[in-house]
Amino acid sequence: MFEFLNPLLFGGLAAVAAPLIIHLLHRRKVKQVDWGAMRFLAELIAQQRRRLFLEELLLLLVRALLVACLALAMVRPAFHRRNGEVDGKAMVRQGRVAAVLLVDDSVSCAAGRAQPAFETMKKLGAAYLDSLTPGDEVSVLALSQLGNTPGDPVFDLEAAKGALNQLKPGFVATDIPALLDGALEQLKRHVNPGAELVVLTDGRKEGWQETDRGRWEELRSRLRGPKSAAPGSRQRPRVMVLAPECGPIEDNLAITALGSDRTVVSARQPVDIHITVANYGLPASREATVQLSVNGRVIGSKTVQVASGARQEVVIRHTFPERGSYGLEAALVNHHDLLAADDRRAMSLQVEPALAVLLVEDGLAQGLNSKLGFLAHALEPEPDHSGAFRVTRVPVTQFLPSMLPLYRVVVLGDLRLLDATTVDALERFVVGGGGVLVGLGPGTNPDFVNRYWARGGEGFLPCPLGPVVTLPKPALPAAVYLGHPVFNGFDAKMDEAWQGAKVRSYFKLDTAKVKAADLDVLLKLDNGDPLVVQRRRGLGVATLVGSSLNADWTDLPLQAVYVPLLRGVVGHLGSFIFPPRNLLPGERIIYARVSAPVASMQGEDNRGQPLNLTLGAWEGRDAILSEPLMEPGLYQLHYPRDAQPIHYAVALAPAESVLQPIKDREITHAFDGAVSIFHSPEQVAANLDPARRQSVELWKGLLAGAIGLMFVEGWLTRREARATS
Amino acid sequence: MNLFETVQQEVIERVGNLSLTARRAVESILAGQHRSVRRGLSVEFVGHREYQPGDDLRHLDWLVYARSDRFDVRQYEEETKLRATLVLDTSGSMGYASGTQSKLAFGLSLTAALGFLMIRQSDSVGLVTCDTDMRHFIPPGSTMPHLLHLLSALEVARPGGETSLAPVLTDIAGRLTRRGLVILISDGFDDPAALLTSIQYLLHRKQEVRILQVLDPLERTFPFKGMIEFIGLENEPRLKLDGDRVREHYRRVFANHQERLRSSCHACGVQLETCWTNEDLAGVLVRALTV
Repeated sequence: MFEFLNPLLFGGLAAVAAPLIIHLLHRRKVKQVDWGAMRFLAELIAQQRRRLFLEELLLLLVRALLVACLALAMVRPAFHRRNGEVDGKAMVRQGRVAAVLLVDDSVSCAAGRAQPAFETMKKLGAAYLDSLTPGDEVSVLALSQLGNTPGDPVFDLEAAKGALNQLKPGFVATDIPALLDGALEQLKRHVNPGAELVVLTDGRKEGWQETDRGRWEELRSRLRGPKSAAPGSRQRPRVMVLAPECGPIEDNLAITALGSDRTVVSARQPVDIHITVANYGLPASREATVQLSVNGRVIGSKTVQVASGARQEVVIRHTFPERGSYGLEAALVNHHDLLAADDRRAMSLQVEPALAVLLVEDGLAQGLNSKLGFLAHALEPEPDHSGAFRVTRVPVTQFLPSMLPLYRVVVLGDLRLLDATTVDALERFVVGGGGVLVGLGPGTNPDFVNRYWARGGEGFLPCPLGPVVTLPKPALPAAVYLGHPVFNGFDAKMDEAWQGAKVRSYFKLDTAKVKAADLDVLLKLDNGDPLVVQRRRGLGVATLVGSSLNADWTDLPLQAVYVPLLRGVVGHLGSFIFPPRNLLPGERIIYARVSAPVASMQGEDNRGQPLNLTLGAWEGRDAILSEPLMEPGLYQLHYPRDAQPIHYAVALAPAESVLQPIKDREITHAFDGAVSIFHSPEQVAANLDPARRQSVELWKGLLAGAIGLMFVEGWLTRREARATS
Repeated sequence: MNLFETVQQEVIERVGNLSLTARRAVESILAGQHRSVRRGLSVEFVGHREYQPGDDLRHLDWLVYARSDRFDVRQYEEETKLRATLVLDTSGSMGYASGTQSKLAFGLSLTAALGFLMIRQSDSVGLVTCDTDMRHFIPPGSTMPHLLHLLSALEVARPGGETSLAPVLTDIAGRLTRRGLVILISDGFDDPAALLTSIQYLLHRKQEVRILQVLDPLERTFPFKGMIEFIGLENEPRLKLDGDRVREHYRRVFANHQERLRSSCHACGVQLETCWTNEDLAGVLVRALTV
């Protein structure tokens, strides 16, 4: 079968006419000259007419042929034979193949009792590589290496097999769209015309991200290419999925979550550690013993019975003796199942003696009747600083930007004015990871706040303020964002708690001016107006309460619910530790508070081996960076003489434990039908037998011809130039 | 300013006292600045030769006889007037001009200058203008009114007709009965063989011949680029050619022609001087007259 691999470039053949057109145009531009020595021209014509004509014709022919050869080479004509049809699927490979082998080396690939799925995947991959012939080029792209610079495609098929064999299942989460995305980028580095993207996966449903329709739609559009693109060409690569047959999940218990019930954990106060155990296996309920250790020391264990497909939460109470970083690890003991990696889960927890909160208000900043009096008492009922919050109250006149680094949270209570320097410092405070709570009230100047604090959505305020709303009949808080960490201490059925929290006046918050995805509405009134909103600004968070934080506009401070609500809000604002210490596989440890040379900082991985640390930058600050941490577990960072290390935890994505197989129908749907799925090496060999493919591309010959013609043209032109000089 | 004034200014101011000297003596009874082949009556002694029977005994040098017993005859050279005919080619090809001055205009100036110089030194000058035929024939004369007559004939000369010098020169040879000088001013775009035959006939008729070939610089360099339609000045068919492609061939043909012309002239002892229309007229005169 004769085929042009780049038929779109056929138009280039029209360029053959270019030398002729140039020649004719050249001839059309005739200048007239009166000439006396005509006898010499006439003599010349008599002698040279034939020769001149032939020379001109020869040069014209050579130039036209040269252009034709180049144009034809770009169209890439090729002779190739069609592969046979197997299972009704014709696999037509066009010319040489540029194959990108996408290896899903996620944690779920390690699942399996007798043989991990990954070994079967390797056999499938090897069968595919066997179907290629010399001249085909291959890239092997593993999921765990997506963030790294990809290697160049190789023509050495044995080397590609070697690279595939060396791969091991990692601990990253499956993300098939990300793999395909990376493959399309990698394909640009290939030169062969026939493109094939081969997804080598364990066939688990999680990780295909089917619900992310927008992402798949965009991916399908890129895979489809232009309408004129031939299937299997660079514009429309052929997609194959090689996945071993997945049976039903025999048995898999997993610890899917580990955390505390508080946003701020204080020293010497008991805290509940929640451990979630999920049973993804089909058999009946399983019993498991969960053991919790803190900094390597077991502090408790509990046995739970988890039904098939259900989750069970285990709570172990613990009191941390002093402030500092703690490494928690929950594990299923004496348990063996299909996937061992999800039987443990680690977590880093920062224990503080108390969260430092600065309250800034107009007036004296003392007593209960001031703007933030209720809040001060809610956060710190005892003035001895023994609670979870350590509150400092200052009048706005004494508030200085230099005070900000001493606090994690700043609360502004119904302020009339703030000077520009302070507003700027507050913005930097929030962007750098601090928390700001803004309460409004009768003293608030909305024009000033909108202009300097909101700055059209660019300032630290979550959203601009609308007009003041004063209701004849007070409104009540109605809709609560219960899933939010602020409401950890709330029960879903405590509606009656809000009954007395009447809101008489409030500023209508202009949330329409902010992208809905950026803004969390924590609390709404029963008339639908938002009352408490939160927005991430840089690395920090700002929360805005539409009404007053004292009793000027609302009875909320007089209700019992005020205390957990405000403690939750302030605690959440101060709970962010940046850079994060709970990581996913593939992420790096970032330690930004560098106070000593990097050489003096030491790190240890989950096996006690030293970590390789380098000095880098994070958000414009000096930082110590580790290499990407691929294995789950606890990691430590410490100065040699410092007894208190900083703990970092790497935990698996919970979705990897599900192990639910994906159906062929679902894969076909994901690719809109443009996919071939093979489950065994035999199927691969039958469909892609290289013996059935014989392909010869002619572009090399055409290019060689063009180069030869270029030499001839050059020689003819030089000859003419010599004659005319 | 008419031709006469132009020439007078050009020649008098820049050429000064240059005089035309003929390589061969002319037969003339008039005394002038030119050597005569007749010896004996002049005052300028040129040498002795052995007495031969028939020599005039008056020329016998008795002093030589007294000293050496040899009969030697004294020889003198006699100065005569030059009798020149200026032949100007006015064929169409002479009308070509790449710059401000055509070949004919240059030839006219040259002819007038030569005529002026000759008459100024009391030589006789005639004029012939021709293309395929003879257009004007003015017999030689040596007076200033004659010069004015010549110049008025030159002023009315216009380019036209084809170049065919050979029959014209043959015609002129028939009309010149006395020994003299023929100066041909032409671009020489004629068949060299035919021209040679005519020149030989002129030489046979005791005429010294000089050729002043007037050419335009572009006729040698042929600098035309791109497609050019060449329109002949002598009613030749038009030719459409790529200047770049034919340049080298043209130059070769032109050089061949020049070489043939030069060798033809050399073969019969005729002086050929090529002058270019962009040259200074005085410089050309100096070069032509001092050889």
